[in-house]
Amino acid sequence: MDRRTVLKGLAGVSGLAVTGGLSMPALSQGAAARTLRFVPQANLANFDPIWGTQYVVRNAAAMVWDTLYGVDATLQPQRQMVESEEVSDDGLVWTFRLRPGLKFHDGEPVLSKDVVASLTRWSARDPMGLMLKAIQNELTAVDDRTFKWALKAPYPKMLLALGKNSTPCAFIMPERIAQTDPFKQIPDYVGSGPMKFAKGEWVPGAKAVFEKFADYAPRQEKASWLAGGKQMLVDRIEWVVIPDPATAAAALQNGEVDWWESPITDLVPSLKKNRNINVDIADPLGNIGSFRMNHLYPPFNDVKVRRAVLTALSQEDYMRALVGDDNALWKPLPGFFTPDTPLYTEEGGEILKGKRDLAMAKKLLAESSYSGQPVTCVVAQDQPITKAQGDVTADLLKQMGMNVDFVATDWGTVGSRRAQKTPPGQGGWGMFHTWHAGADCVNPAVYNAVRGTGDKAWFGWPTSANVEKEVAAWFEAKNLDEEKAAVKRLNKAALEDVVYAPTGFFLSYTAWRKNVSGIAKGPLPFFWDVSKTA
Amino acid sequence: MVSYILRRVLSTLPVMGIVALFVFSLLYIAPGDPAAVIAGDQASPADVERIRQSLGLDRPFLVQFGSWLWNIVHGDLGTSIFTNLPVAKMIAQRIEPTFSLMAITLVLTIFVAVPLGVVAAWKAGSWVDRTIMAFAVFAFSLPVFVVGYVLAYVFALQFEWLPVQGYTPLAAGLWPWLQNLILPALALGSVYIALIARITRASMLEVLQQDYVRTARAKGLGQQNILFVHALKNAAVPIVTVIGIGIALLIGGAVVTESVFAIPGLGRLTIDAILRRDYPVIQGIVLLFSFLYVLVNLMVDVVYTLVDPRIRY
Repeated sequence: MDRRTVLKGLAGVSGLAVTGGLSMPALSQGAAARTLRFVPQANLANFDPIWGTQYVVRNAAAMVWDTLYGVDATLQPQRQMVESEEVSDDGLVWTFRLRPGLKFHDGEPVLSKDVVASLTRWSARDPMGLMLKAIQNELTAVDDRTFKWALKAPYPKMLLALGKNSTPCAFIMPERIAQTDPFKQIPDYVGSGPMKFAKGEWVPGAKAVFEKFADYAPRQEKASWLAGGKQMLVDRIEWVVIPDPATAAAALQNGEVDWWESPITDLVPSLKKNRNINVDIADPLGNIGSFRMNHLYPPFNDVKVRRAVLTALSQEDYMRALVGDDNALWKPLPGFFTPDTPLYTEEGGEILKGKRDLAMAKKLLAESSYSGQPVTCVVAQDQPITKAQGDVTADLLKQMGMNVDFVATDWGTVGSRRAQKTPPGQGGWGMFHTWHAGADCVNPAVYNAVRGTGDKAWFGWPTSANVEKEVAAWFEAKNLDEEKAAVKRLNKAALEDVVYAPTGFFLSYTAWRKNVSGIAKGPLPFFWDVSKTA
Repeated sequence: MVSYILRRVLSTLPVMGIVALFVFSLLYIAPGDPAAVIAGDQASPADVERIRQSLGLDRPFLVQFGSWLWNIVHGDLGTSIFTNLPVAKMIAQRIEPTFSLMAITLVLTIFVAVPLGVVAAWKAGSWVDRTIMAFAVFAFSLPVFVVGYVLAYVFALQFEWLPVQGYTPLAAGLWPWLQNLILPALALGSVYIALIARITRASMLEVLQQDYVRTARAKGLGQQNILFVHALKNAAVPIVTVIGIGIALLIGGAVVTESVFAIPGLGRLTIDAILRRDYPVIQGIVLLFSFLYVLVNLMVDVVYTLVDPRIRY
């Protein structure tokens, strides 16, 4: 082979490549008219809503898998796949009957055995499911459309457990899929929801496609969040993952996408100026900002230190750092539960109200066991919410005279480090920042972060017998008044023991083009009843 | 030449082995836990631990490395911890956008930068040379993402000539494919054009002082002929070297460019995998890029022999 032969060969190959490219057909433009293009809050990196509990997975799963019950906009569980239910007088045996005509995407009917397998898998991972499992006698299929859940003790929150929207939801899958180990991913994505998942078109990190399921049997009631008739008015939904907010904003303005789930606050003014775009609050239940202190080690193992921090903490400082000057986007939160929901309370919230008292905080700190040791403050810089909160906290602690060891890192590292129970100087931590979706803070059943079960509690491992006593009281409550009374006491106890530090309540926007209609406000994007004109 | 290429290919194997060990070790000691990311924000520490066990991340380092290496040797890059998809499939899904972007950028660069460098050398010291070199300094100084945003704002949002983001496969047609790549290639290529133009100018200036160029002029050859046939060919070796080295620059730049223009390529896959600590994906991509870099260097060596017949191995 000589040099001239190689050169001739290369010229031939490049010529072939060019002519091959030119001869390819162009894409059809007509398909776009019935397609909704949606930019999700994050990448759909996996698609097992029981194995992976990220919100983005839950949001996509709600289209593909249906639930037995669904929480509506009043936070009440309503029948969804279930036609009727009966509970025995002693509250120990629940019998459910499925609606007729339910089908999976592979054409098979939805049977009780599928439900039993799905609930078994779900109950191994979900906090409410685990409670049910602990008191379970048996969960069995009675016939094709009837199944029975027999318990050792009454569980009044059964319907909420089966219909809640906090992750993991009790999605119903075919038995063959639901028999997968709950700690391993499912191999197939067949559901009975209103949309089918186009597995072949899935490019994790870039695109996920959902196609209308023609045999879906919606309920007759009007849709409300996860409940009611889920009528699909588009044939195809394309999730387009755009990690850069500026690019997502430009794509929405340019008409390349139709709906952007979570525009960042900085870009909202420019979107509002665009006459082709609507911008509105996404979820009235919003989010609760927080930082958690490590209750196992000094200085935060001393409740006086934790109270000193709360005494000086200005929620307005945190919220301004998060949402800027838009007063419609935040409110103070002297408690732990989501504002404007039935159980919201400010009982015991005086420590977070009124003018912030730095002098008092310093006095409390002086009276505590704090002796100047560094506070390891671990802050993820790649999450705007944690970064903003971390900066405010570092300043707060310094003003109080505390010695801050500020560890700037990424969210992946925070996820790993916060699980370390070793002392802060040996790979552990003193505090970290996060936030909770308001929908997950509406009652104690779905609210891990407020629990005080010590070693079994969420990261920070707070121990609070008083909090746990009131959690039990809430579970046993017979009516809403009893629930409210229990949560009031719980809120007070959690603030007295400073289970964690709430930094305020904040909302976020969603944005869509004006040729799209039917977008409902809620804790997740609901695609039913959403239509699009050309 | 064939035996030379074979020898070079074989010599890449130990290099790849060292890269593999390095990558695996680095990930092992790096902080972060995929199990914690998978478990989500509401999971209990016990859930995280169970997920870690189910992923085999609690096994000793050597066991994990041995198992991974065994699979690699058998052509299995493993399965993504997050997507449950084979890493090879994920890479295959992403390879076309990245290679398309790099190819367009490379073509654009060579067709713009080399003539610019040649003209700058030809008109050395004139306003043309100063203008070209000022452009080069400017392009070299601007970060890729800034160029990307400006281009998207002007050509996509203001003029509405080109799309802001995304990628259309070549199978859908040449123009739809090109449409999505023009702005990213311009953004990614700006630094590269500046670099190659400067190298071409420097190399050409040296060659244009040679006696044979003076002889060519004395013979009455046209300026175009002298510049592009005689001088450029002899100035090509350092240019080809820099183009080869610049492939690494392109790979790095592609990570940023793909994020700015939402191109579903290997760059974005890399970032996503790193942020989630998806070890098998990171390892697969780094191995691929290492292999590519070794391959490019091999190709550069082969091209030397093509542009300069005096070079023999």
